[in-house]
Amino acid sequence: MRNAIMAGALVGALCAVLGTFVVQRDMAFVGEGLAHAAFGGVALGLLLDLGVRFSVSWLGPIWVAVPFCAAVALGIGWVQNRGLASESTAVGIFFSVSVALGIVFIYLRTTPAGDLEGYLFGNILAVRRADVYAAVALAVIVGTLMGLTWTKMAYIAFDRTLARLSGIRVEALDYLLLVMMSAVIVLSVRTVGVILVSSYLIIPAATARLLGGSLMRMTLKAVAIGVLGSTIGLIISFYVEVPSGATVILTLAAAFGGASLLANRRRSR
Amino acid sequence: MTDEQILKVEALAVRFGERQIFSDVTFHVCRGEFCCLLGPNGAGKSTLLKTLLGFVEPHTGTASVLGLPPGKAGKRVGYVPQLKSFERSFPASVLELIVANLRGAWPITVTAAEREKALKALAQVKGEKLIDRPLAGLSGGETQRAFLARALVTDPEVIFLDEPATGVDASGREDLYDLLHAISADKFLAAVMVTHSPAAIARTAEKIVLIDGTVRAFGPPGELLEGGKLFAMMGLGKSKDPHAVPEEG
Repeated sequence: MRNAIMAGALVGALCAVLGTFVVQRDMAFVGEGLAHAAFGGVALGLLLDLGVRFSVSWLGPIWVAVPFCAAVALGIGWVQNRGLASESTAVGIFFSVSVALGIVFIYLRTTPAGDLEGYLFGNILAVRRADVYAAVALAVIVGTLMGLTWTKMAYIAFDRTLARLSGIRVEALDYLLLVMMSAVIVLSVRTVGVILVSSYLIIPAATARLLGGSLMRMTLKAVAIGVLGSTIGLIISFYVEVPSGATVILTLAAAFGGASLLANRRRSR
Repeated sequence: MTDEQILKVEALAVRFGERQIFSDVTFHVCRGEFCCLLGPNGAGKSTLLKTLLGFVEPHTGTASVLGLPPGKAGKRVGYVPQLKSFERSFPASVLELIVANLRGAWPITVTAAEREKALKALAQVKGEKLIDRPLAGLSGGETQRAFLARALVTDPEVIFLDEPATGVDASGREDLYDLLHAISADKFLAAVMVTHSPAAIARTAEKIVLIDGTVRAFGPPGELLEGGKLFAMMGLGKSKDPHAVPEEG
């Protein structure tokens, strides 16, 4: 359980930081699309079984899913930036293709499908030390990139035109955000599962938004909610023996419910 | 007002695929001049403004802003977007909005010097009290003051305004025209304003460009406003006294 809590807390924090931009820029559907791309990527990873092929124990399906998901994310960004389709249409197309490919990959496997259910719903018991190291490495990379680009990403979230006028490379940072989202989503799949991972991206940030404050304060609140929510949810999952994705998301949803009541009371005063 | 041309447009044309938005657009704006871009809906005014800001690539022709290609003059150019294009739910204060333009990135904290500059810019638009207010809670007129202060904070040499009175109520509009009139009186700062408003033209214009797919009229407002010629061309009906402020459409 300790591994799951450490990995879950780290990934929860990363999801919260990125989720603040996802919520502010109304990109929830993109998160949903990337979650489905993660399914396709995990299925491909299970099919290729690189860990067994190359006798490298830590080379799990996640390491195939990350580039797969990143490629889908860049595809969505490219289609949208070229004006070939709107964001929601591009996401819809890539999401369905990823799921369809995932189903094909699962059926192509000649050996049992491994922990597919764990990847779909989250499996706290399957989180190993290697996953914690992967989460730490990702946290360092995404954290550094965020540190370097947060003020520009925030300006883009406020207004793309004004950001562009200030010399910010809006399209390049869009692609970067999409790639970071894919990496974080894929890593979250271990604890939360593919089915619910997009909510992991959205709920902490949406809750923090209800509590108000500047964008930076919102981000910090979202991180606190993401970390606490995933820790409490994972502990509940361990003792109640229910898939961890469900307990984490229900815990976060309870936090959102509480914040909604608070915000509603403040508005009616 | 000098003769130095800070904005030069020659035979400019823009197409989106097969659709010609405008063609053969030629005009210029001198330092300190206030130029109004008018025309019916769909005439290409906003696209022309976006081309001059560097967002749209022209098909043919040339444009230069302060001697540089559009979009290259950085903080020497100010921009006030249309109110309707702005996302009100973003957690931003007026101070953050203004400082973001100073820094070219969203501020996490604001220095005392930046706050002072923001206050000075707000003082130019009589909006000092707005500095710590959240953008979401401002009226249309207050929001436009905030965006005007934002544009002025870098001491630009030219400012582009896209229908600044749209979405502003009647009393807010009057205050806005007063502010724009003061900008018009500034001999250093040039302005290009897309507008539908006869009142705005009357209060600010030192030059008018009438666009309808191409330039239909260009010059000082006096002769163009005479006999209601200009408003007739815009489909706004005759004005008997060209110097009277017509009612808002």
